[in-house]
Amino acid sequence: MSKTTIPTGGIADDAVNLTSKVTGTLPVANGGTALSSGFNNGATTEVDQWRVSAEFNGTASPIASNWERSDTTGYGKHGTGLTESSGIFTFPSTGIYIIYAQMSVQFNEEDTDSIMSIATTTNNSSYTAQSTCREADKNTDGRKHAMSCMAVFDVTNVTTHKFRIDAQSVASSNTVGASSGETITGFTVFRIGDT
Amino acid sequence: MARPNHIEDALVKMHSRQWFTWTDSKNKIYANLRLTDKVGIDGNIVDNLVTELPTESAINAKLKELQDAWDAANGG
Repeated sequence: MSKTTIPTGGIADDAVNLTSKVTGTLPVANGGTALSSGFNNGATTEVDQWRVSAEFNGTASPIASNWERSDTTGYGKHGTGLTESSGIFTFPSTGIYIIYAQMSVQFNEEDTDSIMSIATTTNNSSYTAQSTCREADKNTDGRKHAMSCMAVFDVTNVTTHKFRIDAQSVASSNTVGASSGETITGFTVFRIGDT
Repeated sequence: MARPNHIEDALVKMHSRQWFTWTDSKNKIYANLRLTDKVGIDGNIVDNLVTELPTESAINAKLKELQDAWDAANGG
């Protein structure tokens, strides 16, 4: 194994090339403070939040319009962000994603089964409800119920792996809540690691 | 339930589904109201079943109707 002796007086600034010949695990310096930036190590690289900006009555499967990225003061997208077309969402990169969806329904008529689903596809065609939540109310006085559910989605191909949010079986007089000022019905996506 | 006070409160009562949209979601006035091109029904994206935007006066009348009903139910 060849070795190079560091010459008296030090080495030239460009003599150490860290793009190669470096192996092993880099230890974290005292208290970890030395690694303040530039190291991902599997941390979340995408956080994005979208919401429905206009209310509607009844079902929408999928919720195909009035989507907007959250823009409330203080909001901060992390990473590239998703893209949307007619309620179909496309991921910016492959990876393991957590999708957390929420929906509010105002019950103006009795409804025994209002449903929200996170529906995913792995072939850009047929969708399957991967996670579903349900609410019901026999009262008709405009009480509001919130529901939420979560899905873990292994996105191995951004062209084929997409998702949508379905509002199903919502009675025609009941209102799915929405706002352009705060997220009432919408979702948050986190990329938590590589696929 | 809060007293209806915005034209969106009336719009959701005029038709079901996502039949309308706003050109500016931060400024929901009649001039910014549009029909959506497509709606989601049973997992499919299809043409909006509503083909005609209601008049401003019709929407205001619907809002007044909702407000009167709310007032009557709440001792107004």
